[in-house]
Amino acid sequence: MRSFLIKISIFSILVILPMYLLFSRADGNWDPFYERFTTPKQENLLLGTSRAAQGLQPAVFNEMLGKDFYNYSFTVVHSPYGPTYLKSIRRKLKSDTNSGTFILTVDPWSVSSISEDPNNLKDFRELAFCLENTPLVSIDPNPLYLLNNEHNYHRLFKRKKGSLFLHDDGWLEVSPPMDSSLVKERIENKVQDYREDMLPYYKFSEARLSYLVKTIEYLQTHGKVYLVRLPIHERMMQVENELTNDFDLKIAEAIKLSNGYLDLTDLNSSFSYTDGNHLYKTSGEKVSRIIANWVKQQRLKN
Amino acid sequence: MLFNSLEFAVFLPIVFILYWFVTARYLKLQNLVLLLASYFFYGWWDWRFLALIFFSSTVDYVIGIQLGKDFPTRTRKVLLALSIAVNIGFLGFFKYYNFFSESFADAFTLLGAPFEPSRLNIILPVGISFYTFQTLSYSLDVYRRKLTPTKDSLAFFAFVSFFPQLVAGPIERASNLLPQFFKKRSFNEIKATDGLRQILIGLFKKVIVADHCAMYVNEIFNNHQEFSGSTLFLGAVFFAFQIYGDFSGYSDIAIGTARLFGFNLMKNFAFPYFSRDIAEFWRRWHISLSTWFRDYLYIPLGGSRGSTLMKVRNIFIIFLVSGFWHGANWTFLVWGGLNALYFLPLMLSNKNRKNIDSIGTFFPSLREFLQMGFTFLITVIAWIFFRAESVHHALDYLKRMLSDTLFSIPTLRPSDVMLYILILVVVEWFGREKEHALQNLEKYVGRPLRWLVYFAIAMVILLYSGEEQEFIYFQF
Repeated sequence: MRSFLIKISIFSILVILPMYLLFSRADGNWDPFYERFTTPKQENLLLGTSRAAQGLQPAVFNEMLGKDFYNYSFTVVHSPYGPTYLKSIRRKLKSDTNSGTFILTVDPWSVSSISEDPNNLKDFRELAFCLENTPLVSIDPNPLYLLNNEHNYHRLFKRKKGSLFLHDDGWLEVSPPMDSSLVKERIENKVQDYREDMLPYYKFSEARLSYLVKTIEYLQTHGKVYLVRLPIHERMMQVENELTNDFDLKIAEAIKLSNGYLDLTDLNSSFSYTDGNHLYKTSGEKVSRIIANWVKQQRLKN
Repeated sequence: MLFNSLEFAVFLPIVFILYWFVTARYLKLQNLVLLLASYFFYGWWDWRFLALIFFSSTVDYVIGIQLGKDFPTRTRKVLLALSIAVNIGFLGFFKYYNFFSESFADAFTLLGAPFEPSRLNIILPVGISFYTFQTLSYSLDVYRRKLTPTKDSLAFFAFVSFFPQLVAGPIERASNLLPQFFKKRSFNEIKATDGLRQILIGLFKKVIVADHCAMYVNEIFNNHQEFSGSTLFLGAVFFAFQIYGDFSGYSDIAIGTARLFGFNLMKNFAFPYFSRDIAEFWRRWHISLSTWFRDYLYIPLGGSRGSTLMKVRNIFIIFLVSGFWHGANWTFLVWGGLNALYFLPLMLSNKNRKNIDSIGTFFPSLREFLQMGFTFLITVIAWIFFRAESVHHALDYLKRMLSDTLFSIPTLRPSDVMLYILILVVVEWFGREKEHALQNLEKYVGRPLRWLVYFAIAMVILLYSGEEQEFIYFQF
């Protein structure tokens, strides 16, 4: 038995060591989420779906609010409000935080569900993805994420550089070509996607709304919580209104519970978008400044 | 819990340590560790189905003891019928209820009296067909007085739920596996090392060959109207390797894992794609199921004795039941029927046992090579029915495959998948006389080269693993 254990230990080390070294090469270029599971636990979070992931720039918040912010937003598939996202937020938040600032972006999609019964927690799509299957969110490298969500690790031998880059602070920088004709085409495609592939199947979910409320309640035990509705392209806004045209009314309970709600959709036409759904980085910076400034005022008021 | 998952990579060493370091002195405690580990392993999917496996084990344990007593034959028959009714009843309800309900509705519609079938929203318990057959073999062997019933409930429950082979076999006979739970197991390094080798080759078959094939198989079968005949043929060939890599890979991992704990499970695959005729193929494919049907169905029906009509009937029964065992779909019945048709000429001309011996030389003769090619080809055609969603889907797939584009250049030509298949075929050809392809490697290669081979396989598995797919046979 002794020699068997020695041999198997040596072999395991021989296999695990190069894998560990290879996993260490995974960085912000690897995929749009991985880095967020490798950074330390945080005290101030920017939360939401891909609109927040691409639109909210922690560096701007750090500069204006004098705190270290972290963008822990994913996509409408991975991080709509629900038990999975709340569980992962609990894991990412430093447990002794008591004066944190949390900015939660909200929109109709993040409190809706694609399942037949929008309130059936077992049918929530995010159950099959990384936020659910990554129990440790602050280890570097994170083999739990890589082994559960990725394959073909040989790609790590080549460092690829694409139009997506996930910064150390969680901001997902997207740099597509911004020629007007290409932007127009992307907006067209995105609106069509949302109208044809999402709108007919999404339904407002009371269960998700209740989890938005639970998320706010949980975060309020660690600091202040602000709700923000990010701007989007007008055409996307039309689709969104078809899903929920009385959104503010629907989430009234969450708004009331929070430390403030800022709806930026009145400024939709003031910004540029990569595809109608996501702010381009220059506009993201402006929007981040507007929100940071508003949070500053809210803090003074309180 | 999947064998190719991170959870299993953690689970297995923990059970190994508890088994050999904490409880090694006490056989009962070792059996308890295996039982608890097996229930944990099974409950990982859905803990509610543990009740099912517990109930099934209890029924067969109690009935087994009663069957061992000197009751009149009639009473014993009733007891056996009860065991069969419970086991087949569960299987029938969970696996076949919707199929029968819909088929009756279709039949009545054809007769002009349509009605809406009542469908139940039933989840099929993982591996139910496997452990049901395993426990049934116990009751049948005890009834036939081939096996003395056990009163050791712990050993019996551990036997039924033994985690390495619980969900996808090999379907063990009680006479082979159960006695191993009564004997003190001592750690055997050679056996354990060989077990690890078998696990390694099993993972390669599953994660590299099967999972990579699966990506193209799914694409081709789901959109078969869009592809040329040659691509459809390639899709069918890929499926042949997918199902082989998937299922024989699972069996390798199961057998290798059992060996780590000092158990010997039966061989389930013997390099079936090197068969020279379909009879040989069925002696080499899913051996534990084929022999189960042979012993408990084919031979009691009369086997190959009796009139030609009886022989034909028996062949069709065994293949159709085997097909139906795989799933509640007409496609599996057609697959079974097709194999019966392939088998029949050999049977009727008494040539079904012609290719019992192995080839004998390293290279096959041209005749043997052509025989292997032909057998593989007809197997591939049958697999189309196995993989298709419906009989109509399979027929349309075949029709398009056998069109004039059959000889065009396939539109999908994944060189990586072809390379993986080639590696598998070569490795298996070299190891075809052994229990598994890497067995006794130490006899041929020195330690440094051997370790290099293990290391290379492990790295290929880790670096090139395809998208994780559940084992196909879990659904059966």
